[in-house]
Amino acid sequence: MRPPRALWVPFALGRPLGSADDPEFQKNVMRAAFDMLETVSEPTIRDYWIEAPSEAAAEDWVCPVSFAPIKDGTHTARLVAEVARLAPWSSETRATRGGRTLFGASGVAADDIETVAKALGTLADDGDMTAAPDLGVTWKFSMPFLVRHLADDMRTFYHEAIAAQPGPGAPNHEALTTWIFGADGQAGTALGDALLAIAEHLSADKRLVSLLVRGWMIPEGYFRGGNAFPTAEEFEADQGGSTSLSEWFSADAPER
Amino acid sequence: MLHVTSGMRAQTPAPWITPKPLRESKVALISTAGLHRRTDEPFRPGAIDYRLLPGDVDFADLVASHVSSNFDRSAFQQDPNIWFPLDRLREMVAAGEVGAVGNWHYTFMGAQLDHNALREAGEEVGRLLAADEVDLALLIPV
Repeated sequence: MRPPRALWVPFALGRPLGSADDPEFQKNVMRAAFDMLETVSEPTIRDYWIEAPSEAAAEDWVCPVSFAPIKDGTHTARLVAEVARLAPWSSETRATRGGRTLFGASGVAADDIETVAKALGTLADDGDMTAAPDLGVTWKFSMPFLVRHLADDMRTFYHEAIAAQPGPGAPNHEALTTWIFGADGQAGTALGDALLAIAEHLSADKRLVSLLVRGWMIPEGYFRGGNAFPTAEEFEADQGGSTSLSEWFSADAPER
Repeated sequence: MLHVTSGMRAQTPAPWITPKPLRESKVALISTAGLHRRTDEPFRPGAIDYRLLPGDVDFADLVASHVSSNFDRSAFQQDPNIWFPLDRLREMVAAGEVGAVGNWHYTFMGAQLDHNALREAGEEVGRLLAADEVDLALLIPV
C-alpha cells in the first residue's frame, strides 16, 4: 500500500484501534496517526506507545447455558439442539446492540440460525465437500468456501450468546475459541465437534482449495494440535491435479 | 509460508504530499476488513475489488466476509468503530479537530498474496476519493 505515514500499534490482531466501546482511547490512536501529518517530513513508521487496557483472562468466561452434554445423535441433531439453547442469549446481546449483528454473511437472514446449524451439521454428517446443502437458501458462496462462512456465522452467534452473560464483558477471540473447541481436558461444544469433523472431510477431499478452507476455518492450534493450513506434503501432492488456486481466487470465477 | 512470501518485494514509499491542516481536511476511511453491506456481493478469497460504504451507513447493515479466522472479530461485534471508526470521525468533526467526513468510504479484502494485483482497484479508489474532494485517507488494516 506504500502509506507515507504509518502508526504501528501494539494491539491484538483484529483490534486496530485498541479498545472496544472506548471512544477516547480510539480517538487518541487516530490523533497519533493524524499528528504525523504535521510532525514528520519524510516517510515514517512511528510506534504507538500506549498499550490497550488489559482484557480479562480467557478462563474468566463460561458458557451462559448449563449444557447437559449432547453427545448422542448426528452432528445435525446436536447442533440444532445447541443453538436452540443459546438463541435466547444471542437475542439478548443483539437487543443491547440495537439489533446489530455480523451474522448472515453466508446468505441466510439475520435470524436464521437454525438453517446454518442444519447446513453445517449436514456437511459434518455427510462429508460431501462439493455440494452446498440444499436448504432453500441462496448461498452467497460456493463450496468449499461456503463452509468457512457458515463456520463464521456460527462463531458470531456463539459469541453473541456468551457475551450476554453478566460478568467480565464480551469474550475475546481466544475465549470464544477455547469455549467452542474445548481445552485442558474440558469438552468443547457440538459446534467444535462438527467443525473438526468437517476439517477431516476437507482433508480427505485433498484439493488444495479444500485444505485452505480448512486453514481458514479452524483457528491456529486446534487442528490435530496445530495449524490447519496445508502441510508442505499436502501442498506438493496437489500440484498438477486440481483446479489452480489462481482460477479459484479470481474475482470473476464462476459459481461452483 | 515460504510459498506465499517468496514473491513479495520491498516497497518504495508513495510520493510525499504536505496536506492541508487536519481541521480543514475532509477524511475518508479505508478498511481491509472485508466489510460490506449485507445486501452487497461478499468478498471472495483473494478478491481484488472493493466495496463502498456511504458516509451515513448504518452499522447494523454491515457484515464481513474476510477469509481469515485467525483475527479477533469479537471487538468489532461489540463496537464497529474499532475497525471502522466512523462515529469517532464524526465526533472529531463536531469538536473541530477534523474538517469533514467523506461522503464515501471504501473496503477491501485483506490477507492478499499479491499486492500488485490491487493496483487497478487502488488507483480507481484514489480517483473516486479525489472526486469526493477527500484530502486524507485513513487506512485501517485489521
